[in-house]
Amino acid sequence: MSTPARKRLMRDFKRLQQDPPAGISGAPHDNNIMLWNAVIFGPDDTPWDGGEATVVVLGTAVAEGGELPPKASPLLEVVRLMPASRLGGTFKLTLQFTEDYPNKPPTVRFVSRMFHPNIYADGSICLDILQNQWSPIYDVAAILTSIQSLLCDPNPNSPANSEAARMFSENKREYNRKVREIVEQSWTAD
Amino acid sequence: MDSEDDMHDANDLESVDDDFYSGDTAMGNDEGDDFDFVDNESDDSEDITYHRQQQNYTILSEADIRLRQEEDISRVSTVLSISRSSACILLRHYQWSVSRVNEEWFADEEHVRKVVGLLEKLVEVQNPRELTCGICFENYPRDRMTSAICGHPFCGTCWRGYVGTSIRDGPGCLMLRCPDPSCGAAVGQDMIDLLASHEDKEEYSRYLLRSYIEDNRKTKWCPAPGCEFAIEYVIGSGNYDICCNCSYGFCWNCTEEAHRPVDCDTVAKWILKNSDESENMNWILANSKPCPKCKRPIEKNQGCMHITCTTPCKFEFCWLCLGPWSEHGERIGGFNACNRYEAAKQEGAYDESERRREMAKKSLERYTHYYERWATNQSSRQKALSDLHSVQNEKLEKLSVRQRQPESQLKFMIEAWLQIVECRRVLKWTYAYGYYLPEHEHAKRQFFEYVQGEAESGLERLHQCAEKELQVYLDAETPMKDFDDFRTKLAGLTSVTRNYFENLVRALEAGLKDVGSSNSEATCSKTSSSKSLGTKGKGGKSKATGNNSRLAGGPSHSLDESNLWFCHHCTYANPKSAKACQMCEHRR
Repeated sequence: MSTPARKRLMRDFKRLQQDPPAGISGAPHDNNIMLWNAVIFGPDDTPWDGGEATVVVLGTAVAEGGELPPKASPLLEVVRLMPASRLGGTFKLTLQFTEDYPNKPPTVRFVSRMFHPNIYADGSICLDILQNQWSPIYDVAAILTSIQSLLCDPNPNSPANSEAARMFSENKREYNRKVREIVEQSWTAD
Repeated sequence: MDSEDDMHDANDLESVDDDFYSGDTAMGNDEGDDFDFVDNESDDSEDITYHRQQQNYTILSEADIRLRQEEDISRVSTVLSISRSSACILLRHYQWSVSRVNEEWFADEEHVRKVVGLLEKLVEVQNPRELTCGICFENYPRDRMTSAICGHPFCGTCWRGYVGTSIRDGPGCLMLRCPDPSCGAAVGQDMIDLLASHEDKEEYSRYLLRSYIEDNRKTKWCPAPGCEFAIEYVIGSGNYDICCNCSYGFCWNCTEEAHRPVDCDTVAKWILKNSDESENMNWILANSKPCPKCKRPIEKNQGCMHITCTTPCKFEFCWLCLGPWSEHGERIGGFNACNRYEAAKQEGAYDESERRREMAKKSLERYTHYYERWATNQSSRQKALSDLHSVQNEKLEKLSVRQRQPESQLKFMIEAWLQIVECRRVLKWTYAYGYYLPEHEHAKRQFFEYVQGEAESGLERLHQCAEKELQVYLDAETPMKDFDDFRTKLAGLTSVTRNYFENLVRALEAGLKDVGSSNSEATCSKTSSSKSLGTKGKGGKSKATGNNSRLAGGPSHSLDESNLWFCHHCTYANPKSAKACQMCEHRR
């Protein structure tokens, strides 16, 4: 029972696994290929990427790449081996597809709490390729990549979040501070 | 606007039922896009009285539209040496103006191609046997893939889905481009025909047809509900009245119902006002008072002056002075007299809100006066229209049988009803005109109301005669001798009323510059019966108001109304002292 939409979604998934763009991952639900979960990492070298993280073990600070105390947990081992212990914002989204895909865009929405001029309070995204500039050529990877670049490149002229838009235009420092705040929140959110 | 045009406009009515244009409109010369006028051959059987000399619009049926569209496309395709599909895209982009297309194309072909998406075919370098569809990412042999001029290949299924979605989304499908977002290559009808399903192709073709009328500045659909005709209009000829084949008359400029002699702005304001919420507010202001305590508007519907506001307020007060009830009693002059009010009024301590109430009341009354009459004439016209249809369809035959007259002798009936329909329309809009006439322009107002009154009473006489007196002859078992008299009378009334309305139209179009001198002869000689100039809501002013163009034949000077009375029979203005008319000796 494979419709063109489903076939195409399978392809998108395969492509995403074989050739994943940086900082993006996504997968459909087990029982429903029309509903996907995705995660976008904040782009590097932006307020969205979180900055350095200090790892504390048993009350002892461990410098990046430094020696671990004996009997450290395996998780810490992984952390130590990562080239840069930068834990960027990890923002979760859902993508809901219809049988009209790829002729119609999916409905994309952020699950994590966001503070961005083009993202509504409920998580909906104001992005042209998701509305009138949609093309059937775009696939899941392309969608997620566009959203990722939207994060550090907002368009204050079509504000979905007026406060964020205003802050972005007038008070960059405050804006960056708020961004870091939600980045940190994204680590702890389930 | 010269008098010749006035003649035509007052006779707009005649085109209501004429079959000037059949399905195959005279295509005539194909010079350019503009049709100056179409020589119309009026059907002899419908030839009433006046013959329209010049038409500035053409009525198009669906077949006509298709034909014209095909011709335009062929023309562009030949001149520019491009495919028909490309010509179609170009034309649509430039609002179906062949001249504009030529102009723009020969000015800068490259720019036009880019804007519209008509790229020139690139030379293909490779010829691989298999290609990957850009949408479903499957591989197919070359011959199963299609692409626009840009070469981006997509498979048949994906194309069908893409095109189908676009068509179902609406007329935007006419501007379809290649699915690749970086490419602007246009997808025209030739590709649609190749790739889309049958229903989608039909839908596309329907949108294309509609586009020919909607995107073109010279054409519009007839606004009548259910009418399938379109009108092509030559701008610049001044007269905006269009009468469609479906017998709906409308104004080209604003697409509202035909509203000469009133201008489009006034009409728009009037229609807005009728639907406006502000009138409700005015009513509330005029007919209710605010509770002194909680300020909610209260309407007094009966009873004494002791008002108790509703919960939760429950304040008790006197309606007249809005003072607390506890302060009322016998010493204030009893419950019904309210001395305090009189005193306040005499002292001039008129409340601001009181003043506003008064003004709102006046304004509302004034509006109601005009609206009522506008609406009444509107419904009267509707009734007249249906009467006209019943006369045409059944009554004429019946009358012909009853009175032993051939139907051709009974044309005067139709003429009369057509005149009534048209006059009701004009009269209706003159009320909207009257509402917007500035109050301080007394001379204009008097003149306007005078001319309007004349026209209205004439119309009432005509309408009554056509309605009621006809019934006598319809019901008669045997032919009646005075039927010929009836015919003369009705024809006479028709003609008189037409003159009155011509005057009215002329006066209004001239901006009421007191040009009433030409009407005197017509009215005096043709009136066959001298019923009293009955008025409907004119307040009996028709005798006392108006300029005295009849007397002096020159510029009006305001007469002292109270010193004159106008004779019923010959309309001479007699001094008040005269008991009988000085001209015709009829008693007052």
